Amino acid sequence: METKRNEISYGEPVGVVTAQSIGERSTQMVLRTFHSAGIVSQVVTAGLPRLIEILDARKKPKHPTMTITFDKKIASNYEDVKEMKKRIEEVRVSSLLESFEENLKAGTMVLNLDKEALALRSITVRRVMDMISQRFPDVELSNEGNSVSVRSKKKKEIRAVRTAFVNIRAEMISGVEGIEKVVVNSEGGLFYISTNGSNLKGVLEVNEINPENVYTNDMFEILNVFGVEAARAAIVNEMMQVFAIEDTKINVKHAMLIADAMTQKGVIKSIGRHGLAGDKESVFARAAYEETIKHFVNAAFFSETDRLKGVAENIIIGRQITVGTGRVKLMIKNADLEKVKPED
Amino acid sequence: MYAESIDSIRFSVVSPEMIKKVSVAKLAIPDTYNEDGYPIDGGLIDQRLGVIDPGLRCKTCGGRAKSCMGHFGHLELIRPVIHPEFARLVFMIMQSTCDNCYRVLVSEKNIDILRSAEDEQIASMAKLKSIKKCPHCGAKQKKLKFERPTFFYMDGERLKSDSIKDWMSKISDNDLAVIGVDGNTVRPEWAILSVLIVPPVNVRPSITLENGDRSEDDLTHKLVEVMRINQRLEQDIDAGAPQIIIDDLWELLQYHVTTYFNNETPGVPVARHRSTRPLKTLSHRLKGKEGRLRYNLSGKRVNFTARTVICGDPNLSINEVGVAQTIAERLTTPMHVTHWNIEKAKELIDRREYPMATNVINSEGVRKRVTESNRIELVSSIAPGWIVERQLVDNDVALFNRQPTLHKMSIMAHRIRVLPGKTMRISVNATTPYNADFDGDEMNLHIPQSIEAIAEARYMMRPTDVILTPRDGSPVMYIDEEGIVGAYFLTSSNTYFDKDEVCSMLAYAGISELPEQDRDGRYSGKSIFSVLLPKGLNYEESGGAVVIKDGKLVEGFIRKQTIGGGKGLLLKKIYIDYGGEAVADFIYKLTRVTYMVVYARGFTIGIKDYLTNQNIQRESKKIVEETREQAHKILESYKDRSMEILPGYSNRETYEMLVHAATGNARGMGVKYIEKTFSTDNMAFLIPTLGARGGIQNFVQMLMFIGQQSVRGNRITRGYSGRVIPYFKKNDKSPEAKGFIASSFMDGLEPKEFYLHAMGARDSTMGKALVTAVSGYLMRRLIHALQDIYVESDLSVRNAAGDIIQPIYGSDGIDTIYETL
Repeated sequence: METKRNEISYGEPVGVVTAQSIGERSTQMVLRTFHSAGIVSQVVTAGLPRLIEILDARKKPKHPTMTITFDKKIASNYEDVKEMKKRIEEVRVSSLLESFEENLKAGTMVLNLDKEALALRSITVRRVMDMISQRFPDVELSNEGNSVSVRSKKKKEIRAVRTAFVNIRAEMISGVEGIEKVVVNSEGGLFYISTNGSNLKGVLEVNEINPENVYTNDMFEILNVFGVEAARAAIVNEMMQVFAIEDTKINVKHAMLIADAMTQKGVIKSIGRHGLAGDKESVFARAAYEETIKHFVNAAFFSETDRLKGVAENIIIGRQITVGTGRVKLMIKNADLEKVKPED
Repeated sequence: MYAESIDSIRFSVVSPEMIKKVSVAKLAIPDTYNEDGYPIDGGLIDQRLGVIDPGLRCKTCGGRAKSCMGHFGHLELIRPVIHPEFARLVFMIMQSTCDNCYRVLVSEKNIDILRSAEDEQIASMAKLKSIKKCPHCGAKQKKLKFERPTFFYMDGERLKSDSIKDWMSKISDNDLAVIGVDGNTVRPEWAILSVLIVPPVNVRPSITLENGDRSEDDLTHKLVEVMRINQRLEQDIDAGAPQIIIDDLWELLQYHVTTYFNNETPGVPVARHRSTRPLKTLSHRLKGKEGRLRYNLSGKRVNFTARTVICGDPNLSINEVGVAQTIAERLTTPMHVTHWNIEKAKELIDRREYPMATNVINSEGVRKRVTESNRIELVSSIAPGWIVERQLVDNDVALFNRQPTLHKMSIMAHRIRVLPGKTMRISVNATTPYNADFDGDEMNLHIPQSIEAIAEARYMMRPTDVILTPRDGSPVMYIDEEGIVGAYFLTSSNTYFDKDEVCSMLAYAGISELPEQDRDGRYSGKSIFSVLLPKGLNYEESGGAVVIKDGKLVEGFIRKQTIGGGKGLLLKKIYIDYGGEAVADFIYKLTRVTYMVVYARGFTIGIKDYLTNQNIQRESKKIVEETREQAHKILESYKDRSMEILPGYSNRETYEMLVHAATGNARGMGVKYIEKTFSTDNMAFLIPTLGARGGIQNFVQMLMFIGQQSVRGNRITRGYSGRVIPYFKKNDKSPEAKGFIASSFMDGLEPKEFYLHAMGARDSTMGKALVTAVSGYLMRRLIHALQDIYVESDLSVRNAAGDIIQPIYGSDGIDTIYETL
């Protein structure tokens, strides 16, 4: 009885209700990416820009970030988690350099490694050299203290030498690619790490992490690694997060509806011109939205038919819309009609 | 009434034959009027195309300016010209077909595969363009190039429109089907124009200026030019002019046709009017916000509306709207005449003053104005089935709207109350959903004109029907500000009122029963409050802080959480248990009682409530000093590089953020101090404490310090020579030099502070203007993407195509208004 009354009504234009709920709230949001007040641990796009980023289904978020947790054994020990930080954080040769000198003509380069930087990440000079010689068989390496001399074995064009040297400096020594910065945080006595940069696949390959509790704000990574259902959940999550940071509430069902609409075809489609609004079946609906001429011209050339099922088309032709009470028709049986007498 | 008979609309390209068929006149003279100001036959204002001057008759249909909608004409282009909008598609067809045998570049075998697929597959044109050899005749494909807007090259040689047209016409219908073009309705050669359709004059009316000069529509101007070049081209060809001259003219013709369709075609110079104003051609008429689609087709204008300034009226229920007499006299509502109301209808027609009938519509649907002369006749001829349009009276329904219409509560159905004055009035409690105030806001009133519309308005759109927002399930109409204060006074413990006071309070709320006496002949506030509640209500809030048992408030005092915005828990409970009408009733009564409580008790604040004292001064100084020290410490750590850099930021950014956090925190410390030292005996402090209005920060800013000003989310840093304003020393790193204001509003601001404050204020004003634009567009996109999504009768969520978006709405099918967050 109770549930029946609380049921959503037939024909309810829930899409519009959702759009209004979110749109009306977005009017009150700030336009800048602000950082959660107080102590800042990582960069996050928040507010309206982030909301737009999600709805536009941008391929890469402006500030990709991950939260990685560990089993209790590791998570309860700060040192262990710090060790993990070293494992996960992307380290490139350039980030270990104090300075470098290169002589492109002679094909030589001297890399002066920063002692502190090495120690901080527990990387030895040996390891750096091994790494370089493994990936760049064309160069000869020798070291002296903290500096490594690189010499091109073959005589090559200056341009080729330069590219090689640049590549050497950009070479990754350890960590997971794309994880630029890592910070250790704690919650309830357990330590976990937050990152700048995201690489879900790469992080999942690290054995020690807790694969059941890894999070990234990049929904396309989630889509590629875990599939649409997970991506849908990610969209819901991220949207709710935006509103939570703004300190405004919104019913999850609205976020769910948008996420379901966006992922309905098995991929993430954006709201707007190149997504949901632009892919509609109806020519009129598309023309009334954006790029009017383009839609009419294509429709004409490929003999498209507008079946006039949606809302926008029916407004254009001046008919009752196809949602809400516009879906309902009243009928009376002829037999009943006869019973009604005007004198009654 | 409705376009019910339209099943679908198919788009296609008009063929030259079709153009000639619909055309009533072949136009040949590139001019409009002759010297006598009379339309030239065969000119662009040919009277066979329809007439716009009153008095003239259309030569095709004989209709007058009002009755003739106009007729199409045509002009024959002497050399074919490419339709600029189709150029890209024509090029794609060229790429997909053989330049030798004109067959589609798909082998016979593959065509069969495509055709035999269940719903005929289409070969991707994007893939066909890379095919080098024709699978049919084996010819090597030449290199094709397309240059915006209408230039085609084959192996570097220019292809002219006539050869392209030739090419297109040689492709068979079957081959076209392979690439998705339906040859029966659209032939690609039609995209190369040899006949140009000329719209009727009604589409491009000329206007007569005050001095009698005629001014032609931009389209006419453009067509004149097309015709002029066309004529010259014809003469030159006939005269056997050299090929270069002909080609030049041909290209010029192409230019004019291109700009006739779209004067914003990329790569084409804009065609201009004599006054150098760019011409508005066909595409402009359709495109954008002021274009045909968005302005005229998606946006409908309606009659039976009114708009004026609004003001508040505490005596109205949220379901009512006060309407001025003048408006009520001009707007009408239809009254369907039946056996039961025919006497009333006759009486209305017979009346000569205010509540009277203004029009009648007979059973044939002919509308007649009720005048002095036909009044008696109408009274006698009226019969069931007629409709009488009568002036508005109390209790008619009207839709009330305020822009921007951001959500469904921006249009609600109110009961009309005809009241004196010239404004429209609403209950102050009904302003929140409209986001209205009375500083000059105007609102629109619409009178529904069909029984269905009236019924829908009356039973689904009243404020009481939409008290709970589907956004988060909270009420959008509630008790606010002095109401919260009043409710606090009324229901906090040990509040007792005399019989006189109680009587006046309850009488003002329209209640004539007294509650039970409590103590020595006095009445407790709680029992007065209980009178306002629906009978038998049971309610409990946050673990027993507020308890209502069987319609009696037994524990706690009423706070913002209970009856105010955001949560409004009690209001929601009443809505769910007793319905919207009960909430409206409760809000109405409680508002009035609380006003009377505040009135009886007295409630006032003054400067003395905000007076500072030595303790506050000392604490302010302390906080400012601490902030300064902290900022200094951070600066030191920044300088000696001992500061821990935040991930993702540079050194400088980290420093800025830390200092901003520190200076921003000062206000928070002030808030804590104020909360600690002030008591709710101070009425000024009581207001923010109850959540009735404002926050404690306002207090801090008034009597402690104003705090950090920010621009673009950061401290104010921009300026010349390392300082924000010349008052400061160069490279001053102190918080004050970067927008921290240590004075309070009570102290007054120093000039430097005043400037910093103005900078912050300016930034926030501009920020607001920007957000409205950005979020407005976001909303438009959301609406367009989601507007077709609705709930099917099996509770599944579907879109216009019938695809399932959700198998059950929100995974449980429960309406969001019934959920509490």
